[in-house]
Amino acid sequence: MKIEGEHVFNGSREEVWAMVRDPEVLATMLPGTTKLSQLSENEYEGAINLRIGPISGGFSGRVVVEDEMPPEHCKLVAEGEGRPGFFKGSGTVDLIEVDAGTLMKYEGEIQIGGKLASIGQRLIDMTSKTMIRQGMKVLDAALDKRKAQAAD
Amino acid sequence: MSNVMDITVTVNGEVFQRRIEPRLLLSDFIRHELNLSGTHVGCEQGVCGACTILFDGMPVRSCLMFAVQADGHEIRTVEDLGTMEDLHPLQEAFWETHALQCGFCTSGFLMSILPVLEQNSGLSEDDLRHALEGNLCRCTGYQHIEDAVRLAAEKMSSGGES
Amino acid sequence: MTAKLIGKRIKRNEDPRLLTGQALFVDDVELPGMLHAAFLRSEYAHARLKGVDVSAALERPGVVAAFTAEDMGDAWSPGPPLVIPPPTIEEVEFYTRTQVPLVKDKVRHAGEPLAIVIAESRYIAEDALDDIVVDLEPLDVVTDIERALDSDSPLVHDDLEPNLAAHLVQEKGDYAAAREEADTVIKRRITIERGIAGAMENRGIVASWDNKQQQLTVWDTTQSPIPIRNGLASMFGLSEHQVRVIAPFVGGGFGPKIMMFYPEEVLLTWSTLKMGKPIKWIEDRRENFYATTQERGQVHDVELALTSDGRILGLRDDFLHDTGAYDPYGLTIPLNTQCHALGPYDIPNFSSDLKVVFTNKTLTTPVRGAGRPQGVYVIERMLDIAAKELGIDRVEIRKRNFLPNDVFPYDNIIIDQAFASFVIDSGDYLPAMEKALEMIGYEKFTKEEQPKLREEGRRVGIGVVSFIETTGVGPYEGARVTIESSGKISAATGVGTQGQSHFTTFAQIIAEQLGVDVRDVHLVTGDTAQFHWGTGTFASRGAVVAANAVNAAASIVRGKVLKLASEVLETPEEELEIEDGVVRVADIPTRSITLGDLAQRSNPLRGAVEPGTEPGLEATAYFGPNYGATAFGTHAMIVEVDPETMMVEIKRYIVVEDCGTVLNPLIVEGQIHGGVAHGIGNSFYEKLVFDDNGQLLNASFMDYLIPTAAEVPRIEVAHQETPSPLNPLGSKGVGEAGAIPVPALFAQAVENALGVDGLEILESPLSPQRLFELFYEEEKDA
Repeated sequence: MKIEGEHVFNGSREEVWAMVRDPEVLATMLPGTTKLSQLSENEYEGAINLRIGPISGGFSGRVVVEDEMPPEHCKLVAEGEGRPGFFKGSGTVDLIEVDAGTLMKYEGEIQIGGKLASIGQRLIDMTSKTMIRQGMKVLDAALDKRKAQAAD
Repeated sequence: MSNVMDITVTVNGEVFQRRIEPRLLLSDFIRHELNLSGTHVGCEQGVCGACTILFDGMPVRSCLMFAVQADGHEIRTVEDLGTMEDLHPLQEAFWETHALQCGFCTSGFLMSILPVLEQNSGLSEDDLRHALEGNLCRCTGYQHIEDAVRLAAEKMSSGGES
Repeated sequence: MTAKLIGKRIKRNEDPRLLTGQALFVDDVELPGMLHAAFLRSEYAHARLKGVDVSAALERPGVVAAFTAEDMGDAWSPGPPLVIPPPTIEEVEFYTRTQVPLVKDKVRHAGEPLAIVIAESRYIAEDALDDIVVDLEPLDVVTDIERALDSDSPLVHDDLEPNLAAHLVQEKGDYAAAREEADTVIKRRITIERGIAGAMENRGIVASWDNKQQQLTVWDTTQSPIPIRNGLASMFGLSEHQVRVIAPFVGGGFGPKIMMFYPEEVLLTWSTLKMGKPIKWIEDRRENFYATTQERGQVHDVELALTSDGRILGLRDDFLHDTGAYDPYGLTIPLNTQCHALGPYDIPNFSSDLKVVFTNKTLTTPVRGAGRPQGVYVIERMLDIAAKELGIDRVEIRKRNFLPNDVFPYDNIIIDQAFASFVIDSGDYLPAMEKALEMIGYEKFTKEEQPKLREEGRRVGIGVVSFIETTGVGPYEGARVTIESSGKISAATGVGTQGQSHFTTFAQIIAEQLGVDVRDVHLVTGDTAQFHWGTGTFASRGAVVAANAVNAAASIVRGKVLKLASEVLETPEEELEIEDGVVRVADIPTRSITLGDLAQRSNPLRGAVEPGTEPGLEATAYFGPNYGATAFGTHAMIVEVDPETMMVEIKRYIVVEDCGTVLNPLIVEGQIHGGVAHGIGNSFYEKLVFDDNGQLLNASFMDYLIPTAAEVPRIEVAHQETPSPLNPLGSKGVGEAGAIPVPALFAQAVENALGVDGLEILESPLSPQRLFELFYEEEKDA
C-alpha cells in the first residue's frame, strides 16, 4: 500500500524538524499510541492500539531513522506486529521552505499482513488517511504550542 | 463488573431465562444454549445468511448479534416453522422443487423469505431473485430455490397456514 | 423390466429432516464434558519457527491444555500422502512433501497451525490464542509459480531446489512431426487462477476417546470416512474396529473435504487419546480461506497445429501447476488437465510437459472440476482462436474434430488420474452440440439478432463449448442391503453424503429391485461402523460406483427373495412378482407373502439353517469399474457486456448434458445448476488475491464473491443419455459437469460480445476491471 501526501506547517524547517524528532510529540501524534520511547539517536520503539473496521488490537513496533539530512530530509524504516497482523514499510520525509512556512512531503510503501490484510483491505486505505490527517492536526497544535512557549 | 447477565428471551413461543456472558453470540446461544441446531453458522461475518432467524418478526443475522440483545424480545427459528410430519407450505415447496442439496443454507433461506412471502403477493421474477440475494448457496445454483419460493407463494395465497 | 423408479423425478427422502432443522451436522454434536479446540495459525507465509511458548495460555482460566509440535513427540510426522503419483508412468520425477500436524521447523504457508489450545469453550480457546508467544523469523516469500522455478527463488522446502514438486512428460503420437505438416500453428499463453470450494459449512471435527470402552469415535466433515478411519487407526496403533468415523450430514464438500490428513484431524485425535475427553473443533470462515485446500492455479504455454480446414494435427500443452506448500494429492489435478485438453476431439498427436511447483500458499487439492476446467479452457480457447485465424465458424471447427461414434472405447494413450491409460468408454458428441445450438438459437442469433444489436451499439455475444468429464473412477465401493422383519429396507454404503442425494437415488435403485416404496428404504452413508470398505466421494463417482454396488447388492437380495418365496409359495420363481412390498404369484394375487414375513422366515428362531446358507434377506456387494466413464456435454450462453461498467449479464444459459443413465432428473438438474453457478463464480467473480508476501487479501465472503441468485441465470437443461458400457446401470457421474466448461464458455462469449478485433481472452477469472483493461488496450492499439 502506498502512503503519500503533504502538509504545510506554520513554522520554519528547523522548528518542524525538532518537533518531529521529539518522542513526546510523536507519542501523541497517532491516536491509540500507548507508548513511544527513543532507544537511541535514531531508533524509536512503541505500541499502538488500532481499530480498523472489524479488526482491533495492539501492535508493537520499531522505527529507525536513516539518511538524515536535517532539516531537509530523512528516511524512516518501520516494522511491527501484533494481534491484528504485521506490517513492514519505509518512506521518506522532505521539508521544503515555502512562503507559508514549511511544506512537508511524505511518501512510502507499507506491506501489511495477517488478519488486517485479509479482512480489512477496503478500510486500510481510508483509515490510514484519517489517522495521518489527525496526526497532522496534532502536530500543528504542538508546533503552535512550542512557538508560544519559545516566545515566552 | 459482572461477567454474566441474566436474559429472558421468547424463542418459538417459549420463554427462556438464562445467565450468559455478554459476548455470547445469538447464533451460539440458539444453537448451543438452547440446543436448537437447525440454525447454521456459515461465516460469522454476516454475508452468507445461513444463520438468519426472525427477531420480532424481522429477519436478522444471528451471527452478528449478541444474545443479550435478545433480552425481552421474540425469536423464531426454523424449528418453529413446521415438523417432519407437518411441514409449512414453504418447506413443502422446497421439498417438491428440490430446493436443497446439502441443506446447510436452507434454514437461512426459509427464515429470510418467510416474511417476504407473508407480507407480499404477486412478486415478479426480479423481485423474487432480489429477495434471495442475501443468502448464499453453493449447491443449488438457486434455480430450484426460486421455483420453491414461487410455488410457496401460490400455496400460501390459496389458504396455506402462516 | 421397465424402470418404475429409476429415471423418475422423485423428491428426496432426506428433505423433511433437513428442512425442519433436525439433521445432524458435526457442530450439532454435543457430548458430556466436551472441550473445545482452537488453532494458533501463522500469519506469515514463510518463516522459521524459533519458539512457541504456551505457558501464558495455560494460565488462563478455562484453558485445559495447549500443545505444540514438540509436545507431540514421536507422534508428530508429516503426511501420509493421500495419492501417490501413477506408478504406470515411466520417468516421473515426483518429490513427496506432505503437510504437517503442527509446524516444527518452518512455516510454509499463511495459516499453517503452530499450536492447539483446548478449553472449556470456543470463546476461551480463541482468547487463549492471543496469550501464546510465537517467535517467527520471516523469510522471503515465493508466490508466483514461474518465479518459484528460478534458481534464486526462496525455497519452500529447504532440501528441494528449485521448488519443483514434480515433472513429467506425456506424449501421444509425434507432435513435432505433426507440427511440421501443419498449415497453421497457433501459440498462446493461458493463465488460470485459484479459487476455493466455498462449501457453506466449514470443516469441523469432534473426536472422542472413551478409555473405558477403548473406543475412538470421530465425527468429521470428511468426504472419505473409511480411509480416515483406517488411517487414524494405523497412525495411533488402534485396531480399525476400535475406530468409528462418522460423516453425518455434511454441508457441501466439493473436493477439499477429502484429505488425509488435515492437521486438525490428527491433532484432535491425538489430543483426545491423550486427555480422554471429547474435543470439538469447528473451523471459522476466515480459517477456511487459509486452512482448507484450494485449486486451479496454472500457467499454460499451448500450441495447436492444424490443417487449413481446421483439422487438428496435434496439440502441445506445456504447463506449470501450483500445488501450494505441499503435494499430498499427487498428480491427480494436472493429469486431469492433460486428459481434458484432449476433449471430445480426435487429436492424434499430443505432447505435454508438466511441472508441478511449490509456492508459499495454501495447498492445492481438487476443487469441483479438479483440473478438468483448465484442460477444457485450453483446448476450447485454442479452437476459438484457430477458427478466427482460419476463417471457420467456431461450431464448425469443433464438429470437424469431434471423435466419431464408431471409435469407442477410444484409447487416448496418455495416463489419467486413475493410473490407467485414458480411455473414453462412450460418447455421442454431435447430437449434444446440435441440441444446444437449437436450444440457444445459434443460427438466428448470429445471423439476425446479433448484427441488429451491434448496430444499436450493444455488446451481446454468444458462446458454445463442448467438453468431456471423466467420472466414476475406481477403485471400488460397496453396499449392504437388508430386508427387515418390518418389510422395510435398510442399507448402508461407505461413501459420505454432502448433498448429492444418495439417500434418494440409492433408495430408488433398491426400491426398483425390491418392489418397495422409495420412502421405505432407509440408507446410512458415511458411518464406518455400518460399512467399512470403500473410499469416498470424489471425481463424480457416487452415482456410478456406489450406485452400482447398491444395485448389485439389491439384485442379490432380490434373488434371495424370489428363491425363498418360491419355496414358501410353492411356485416357480418365474411366476412370481414383487410389488408394494409383497411377493405374489402372477395370476393368483391371493397367493402372496409380504417381504417382512419372508424376512422373518429367513431368520428362524427354531429349526435348522442349512450349512452353506446365510440367514436373512441380506447381501453385501462391491463394484469396481475397469476405468472411469466419460460423461460429456455442450454449454451455450448469450451474454451482454456493458461497455462502461464491464459488468456482464447472462441472457440465456443452455446445458445439454450426457451422464449416461439418469437416476433422477430432478437431482441431475440440481447438480448441473450448482456446478454452473460455481463455474460462473470461477469465470467472473471469484479470485483469490495473494500479495507478494503470500497474504490472502480477500479472506472473507465480503471480498471473495460467491455468486448469489442475482448472478446466476435460469439454466435450461436438456438430457441426452448415452449409457456407459462400463456398469450395469449405464450411469456416468455429473457432480462436476456443470462447473467444467464455464470459464471457457465465458471467455468465448464475452470476446464475442465485446467484438473487438485482436482482443483475446486468455485468462480466468475475468473481472470488470480486467475486461476494461483488455478492451481499452485493444482500442488504443487499433
